[in-house]
Amino acid sequence: MASDGMWWRVAWRNLWRNSHRTWITASGLAFGYFSSVILVGLTDGMSAELVENGTRLMVGQVQVHASAYLPERNMHHTIGGYEGTDVDALLAQIEQHPDIEDAAPRLFGGGLLSSGEETQAALLLGVDPVRESRVSTLLTTLVSGALPTAGAFEVLVGSEMARQLGVEVGDELVIVAPAADGSMGNDLYTVAGTFRTGTPGIDANYAILPVDDLQYLMAMAPGRIHEIVTTVTRSRETPAIASALATTLGEGDVPLDVKPWTELRPELAEALALMDSMNFVIVIIIFAMAVFGVANTMLIGTFERRREFAVIRALGTTRRGVSRTVVYEGIILGGISLAIGALITWPVMVWWHNTPPDLTTWFEGFEWSGAQWRPILRVEYSADGPLFTALALLFTTIFAAVYPAWKATRVPPADALADR
Amino acid sequence: MHGTSVAPRWTGNTVALVSLLLPTALGAQTAREILEEVDQLLRGESSQALVTMEIVTEHWSRELEMEVWSLGTEHSLVRVRSPAREAGTSTLKAGQEVWNYLPRVDRTIKVPPAMMMGSWMGSHFTNDDLVRESSIVDDYEFEIAFEGPRDGVDVWEFLLIPKPEAPVVWGKVEYEVRKADMMPTWVRYFDESGELMRTMTFSDYQTMGGRLVPARMDVVPSDKPRERTTLIYHELAFDVGLEESFFSLRNLRARS
Repeated sequence: MASDGMWWRVAWRNLWRNSHRTWITASGLAFGYFSSVILVGLTDGMSAELVENGTRLMVGQVQVHASAYLPERNMHHTIGGYEGTDVDALLAQIEQHPDIEDAAPRLFGGGLLSSGEETQAALLLGVDPVRESRVSTLLTTLVSGALPTAGAFEVLVGSEMARQLGVEVGDELVIVAPAADGSMGNDLYTVAGTFRTGTPGIDANYAILPVDDLQYLMAMAPGRIHEIVTTVTRSRETPAIASALATTLGEGDVPLDVKPWTELRPELAEALALMDSMNFVIVIIIFAMAVFGVANTMLIGTFERRREFAVIRALGTTRRGVSRTVVYEGIILGGISLAIGALITWPVMVWWHNTPPDLTTWFEGFEWSGAQWRPILRVEYSADGPLFTALALLFTTIFAAVYPAWKATRVPPADALADR
Repeated sequence: MHGTSVAPRWTGNTVALVSLLLPTALGAQTAREILEEVDQLLRGESSQALVTMEIVTEHWSRELEMEVWSLGTEHSLVRVRSPAREAGTSTLKAGQEVWNYLPRVDRTIKVPPAMMMGSWMGSHFTNDDLVRESSIVDDYEFEIAFEGPRDGVDVWEFLLIPKPEAPVVWGKVEYEVRKADMMPTWVRYFDESGELMRTMTFSDYQTMGGRLVPARMDVVPSDKPRERTTLIYHELAFDVGLEESFFSLRNLRARS
């Protein structure tokens, strides 16, 4: 029996007997690869943008709370209980995790904002302005004034809240909030600035003040916070990162609950899962088309070689040897297509990723599952997109070669040689 | 009667029932007629009281000493005397509006509609409890659900069903009154699905300001049976000659 290497050589030579056909088939497959990878990259880019916009404003990508805090959001359930915790140490510990980019503390409260004439119920959010700016875009949405200074009794209010209260930057505002000891915390504040996020629920209801000031107002110790918000390096892999972080933090003595954005914003996660499955369907369709193209070419190739197969069969070549050479042709064709595909895909991908076509001049984008999408068609790099597509391409060529290979083995030597 | 505004939802009822001690024709009247007549009798009556409010919650407990003035069911003024940190904090109820005065910032704040269901002074009473008192006769249909001896005491049990259009948060209210001295013993508040939300219990019946009153009231929320708000009356005087003008925003500040 002839060696395997010989069959590879035979397959290679057969491919180049009709080089035009081989090139055309390979180009078709390469283009299929290119379109699949770019398409998957585009939807990945769209998902990344949705995740970014859906989480970046406030939610963050991973949130850490005291385990009893959610879902009631009882103000007494601060991280570390009544005593609170060493916030700086905890933040440092979280940021040490390789997949966590930044972390910021938050304290929540509810109360009344009064300008004198008007009084509104408000959600109070205590933040560390420096850290908060790294994890969310909330503080970049200032439309007037400046960030509040800790200890100066300054507050930021939503633009709609400011309108309802009739206050502007520099005006006085009374904040009344139930404190942790049961008393009614109340103090006089100055409006340091107003913000407009574009999300009505935030603009009309939130007041933001430095976390230390809110702790003081609510008669809470400086170590008491409700939430730590973090951003991660790879947002699509947040659930895995969150559970890894939970394991790390689980070793401490403070019982904590670590939640990824996919649990905090399940509707957004579901929308993305839908996009992923659509991707899958599109790739399947592209390659189903390719299967028929390749099968067709190779079938013609085998029919052309009927006499040749008959001769080698007559000379004692096994059916397996014949089918093998046809399948090897398919594999080599796949390899060539993949090489061409990768060669044209990578530069385009890099270019497309770095200078995405910005269609914002034509239309404004839309909101999907509570996340804003801008029509900037960025192609996102991903490992599994190109890899999965490459595997699909190889399988396609092998699969497409199976039927022609089977056909080739069915050539009856005598009939073929007699031209019957 | 002990007409204070501290817990007006029931105060209205209490006041009404307590004053049934007055020689009115009771026998053949329906529950509603009894209450309407009493409501008429009470309008314009004023009171002044010294009250301790104990609040016990899962997370903290505290005690406030308060001075309370009231006029009929429409007006009341509450001023905190201790603890020192909150001394001077006052609440004015005038009709359907509730105002708070905060001495620390020297500001008067009207409680906005969205916060009417919020807790009053951290207690198990809501701001809404303060204003609902006056409309009890208008908001509910009344009937006698039970009449006779219960645990050896002759009682009535009244059932209050809110009228369909009434802005009431409860699905129904039940309360029990001792027949012998017309003293209320308990009130139970149910939500719209018929679940018990909170129970108010009266005890320590004493003669204050010339009338028999329950000097102690306990409110227990059903979902947190270990929490409570207790009101204890130390001093109570009736017909102290207050005018409507007393219950003004100016006085809310000045009195404090």
